Amino acid sequence: MFDVIKGNTALINTLTSLSTKDGVKLGSDNYGNAQHWFELSSPSHLTAAAAALKDMSARLSLISGYSRASEPDAEEAPFAACYNFVLDSVIYSVTAIVTKKEPQVPTITPWFANADWHEREMMELVGIQVAHQPNPNRLFLDASIDQGMLSRLVPLSVMMNGACTKDLWEHILSSKEGSH
Amino acid sequence: MPAPKHSPATFNIPLGPVHVALEEPVYFDLQVDGEIIRGATLHSGHVHRGMENLAQHRNLIMNQTLTERVCSLCSNSHAFTYAMVVENALGIGVPERAHYLRTLTEEIKRVASHLFNLAIQAHLCGFESLFMHTMELREIFQDVKESLYGNRMNLAFNCIGGTKFDLDDECFGFLDESINKFMPAYKELMDIFETDPLICARIKGVGLLPKEDAVRLGVVGPVARGSGLAIDVRKETPYAAYGKVDFDVVVRDGCDLYARTCVRLHEVIESIRIIRQVMRDIPQGEVRTHMNKIFPAQAIARSEAPRGEVIYYIRTNHTEIPERLKWRVPSYMNWEALGVMLRDAKIADAALITNTIDPCVSCTER
Repeated sequence: MFDVIKGNTALINTLTSLSTKDGVKLGSDNYGNAQHWFELSSPSHLTAAAAALKDMSARLSLISGYSRASEPDAEEAPFAACYNFVLDSVIYSVTAIVTKKEPQVPTITPWFANADWHEREMMELVGIQVAHQPNPNRLFLDASIDQGMLSRLVPLSVMMNGACTKDLWEHILSSKEGSH
Repeated sequence: MPAPKHSPATFNIPLGPVHVALEEPVYFDLQVDGEIIRGATLHSGHVHRGMENLAQHRNLIMNQTLTERVCSLCSNSHAFTYAMVVENALGIGVPERAHYLRTLTEEIKRVASHLFNLAIQAHLCGFESLFMHTMELREIFQDVKESLYGNRMNLAFNCIGGTKFDLDDECFGFLDESINKFMPAYKELMDIFETDPLICARIKGVGLLPKEDAVRLGVVGPVARGSGLAIDVRKETPYAAYGKVDFDVVVRDGCDLYARTCVRLHEVIESIRIIRQVMRDIPQGEVRTHMNKIFPAQAIARSEAPRGEVIYYIRTNHTEIPERLKWRVPSYMNWEALGVMLRDAKIADAALITNTIDPCVSCTER
């Protein structure tokens, strides 16, 4: 018996043609709701993917930028961005791997106006650059704070420990000594 | 949302970040022409807590507690959706009774949340007795939460694999009694909100969000449904016990404050329908299964919170700490719609229009 693949066949074919050979996973969640995953062979394919999704009247739901630090090829491809779209009760997740060779993802705001906030947040928190973003201002964090803060934020509890123990100052001292 | 270049705006008015009519800190720069708003620029970031970073320093169990603190009014939706995303990633099956209990809890929270929004709306209209009447009715559901779960806001009911504890017949009996007390008074309240001339004069034809703008901006929840879009995750991709209960998606095509008010008012009735069906049909059995193994995976989970679609994304590895946990709340999608709703509105209506998206700044900024 064959499982029936739920979703828009034309869209699945288009996204598959833009993806890597092993980057397509068609499946469902614990409740049987279809969720399909596509890993693009190049970040530049994102525009074609966005255009195809918009043509079908899909809705952008979420963009998640993340570090690939734990992956074996992390040095060559340090970041990725996963885009989740909803169309007719099916979720299409499209992932763009950001590499040293192609260090940016293109903006998808021409097709999805609501990508604006997601892209700006991805830039300021994860440090992924978005090419041709029409409104590249800070969304939440002050402009004086470096990009990619998500990986560098010091939890308040760690700072509080620093205030009542010598650990923080010893760490600063040792890093200073190391620099001389 | 800057004012268009042809705008005749003559001066700017700052609204917020701390303002008597706004529940949380957010700053609007209103470009106005006389008493008419021509454009609005939103500046946020006042309560950014770096929660997604914190989530990447805590294990999967600890994040259950963290995510419940994203928001207060829809705290359960976060804890619930987080549990679902971990279950989806690690293939954890949830017992049938837990599905029903989770559904029941979501709807109890939805009733309380919608009533809070409606009460604030009455307050912003200057109808203080209606505000107090609505909050008094909401108190019935606050008592339900306190009696059933031990807390009035953060219920701490969900866990990965099901629920932390069971609810017995005594709990269901109390809930049933509370609903019986609530319904007659609520029907009177609905009538006031839908027909009172004072309320109608303030909310009919105000804060317009045309359907095409709602589609373009990807708005969700009652904001989308008030502009004629039948978007509801509970129907679109049923989760928990939503596929087994009968309810209607409330849609209005007025595109104004009145339409969104009617959506929330009637959604309370639908929530009560769901609660009654859950109490009638809930099966006996276990309420949770245990997490056995953590392995590299990625997953998403969605739910329909009181303000609309909540979505969680997770990437796990071989450790108990998630590599990435990201979530997007409904207010995040609905803020941009304020630019459309506020354009050509009166300054006096700015707070009322802002309230119509049921904004949650803490949720949005995390």
